[in-house]
Amino acid sequence: MKHLTEEELVERYYGEGADAAGVHLEECAECAASLAMLENELAPMRVADVPERSADYAEQMWARVEAGLPPRPAKPSQVARPTLWRALRFAAAGAVVVAGAFYGGTVYEHWQQHKTQAKVQPAPAAPAQPKVVVVVLGDHLDRSERLLVELKHADAESPEVVNPLRDEAQSLLAANREFRDDAVKEGDPALTLALNHLDSLLTEIANQPGGLDAAGLARIRSEMNADGLLFEVRVLRSKNPHRTKAVRVLARGGAA
Amino acid sequence: MGQNDGAAIEAVLAGDRDAFGELVKRHTRMLFRLAWRMTGNEADADDVVQEAFLRAYQKLATFEARADFGTWIYRIALHCALDRLQRRRAEEARRKSEVADPEEDAVQVADLRPGPERLAMSAEIGALQEFAMRGLTAMERTAFVLRHMEDRSTEEIAAALEVTPNTAKQSVYRAVRKVRHRLMQMKVMA
Repeated sequence: MKHLTEEELVERYYGEGADAAGVHLEECAECAASLAMLENELAPMRVADVPERSADYAEQMWARVEAGLPPRPAKPSQVARPTLWRALRFAAAGAVVVAGAFYGGTVYEHWQQHKTQAKVQPAPAAPAQPKVVVVVLGDHLDRSERLLVELKHADAESPEVVNPLRDEAQSLLAANREFRDDAVKEGDPALTLALNHLDSLLTEIANQPGGLDAAGLARIRSEMNADGLLFEVRVLRSKNPHRTKAVRVLARGGAA
Repeated sequence: MGQNDGAAIEAVLAGDRDAFGELVKRHTRMLFRLAWRMTGNEADADDVVQEAFLRAYQKLATFEARADFGTWIYRIALHCALDRLQRRRAEEARRKSEVADPEEDAVQVADLRPGPERLAMSAEIGALQEFAMRGLTAMERTAFVLRHMEDRSTEEIAAALEVTPNTAKQSVYRAVRKVRHRLMQMKVMA
């Protein structure tokens, strides 16, 4: 006889799962005992022990919520309404006059163009402006450190932990390369080494084929020596406080 | 949707902000219960309830009149609590990593756990539940609270978390396994 798996028992415990499992439980004393044990173990977690709130808790909460709401728009008073109505009528009349003048001008211009047969080349579209982002090395190292700490403690089974890690790695990559190139130019071997190491790790996290999974994260952590890198980043920050003020301007998007 | 909720929402959308107070007063306790179960902390739960109502006020124009306001605000509160849990988890990870000495770290972790004597002697079920759920991820904790404490079905959990029913079911299962393991650990310690 094939016994129920733990997962099937959990399903039965919550009143779900296949009917066959229910039939099996009636016939199999061993599985029935396992289910009873599960019920017994989880019993303390069933007790509702929500702390008591005071009788005026709802009013208190409304006061808190109301304080955070945007300010009320000022309502026009009864006395002011006729004046407001008159102003609106004047505004509408003005708008009609302006629209008429605009239409007349457009017709005249069109007629002039037709008359002269002038060929006007359309103006070339303005190139999209790149978005300029200013990045400070200290902030970059802070963010990298946070990523490494999260990587160290990440539960790789959980997409809500893993996906932000990947996104953060992608967003750190460009700035990291700029700072690394600067470090090479300025002949700073310690910073170059650390940023090179960081570049490899960020690339790994950002570009895992098929996304990050538990095995992938564990491999990156050990193969890329993420803990060692975390230490390097911290040392860099503590030993070179003046250096971390270096600023880099990055252009993102548009025609850079 | 309750008739009263519908009228209050219409009034709020027409500019009567005080009508929102009626909605707050009507649903606060339900949200507090959920938020407390999710966060295990009264101050955090109060903040979650406040944040949920503020978000709801901002989004009220997008609320569909046919839907149930209670369900809608419940989901908003759930996501507020989930955000708070994730932020708390990231802060805890950061704090732990700042402890350079592994021995010091071990001492600190031991201090954070309620001792077996305290748990055995104390009638604080809340502390026991909190200890048992400490190892859960934010998603697992949410799924477990909804399934085990709020008696929500797999479909309801999936809809609230915007995941597939299978993912919701797996999250509940993983949570149950971890909770059982923690409860077992506690028995051994006692």
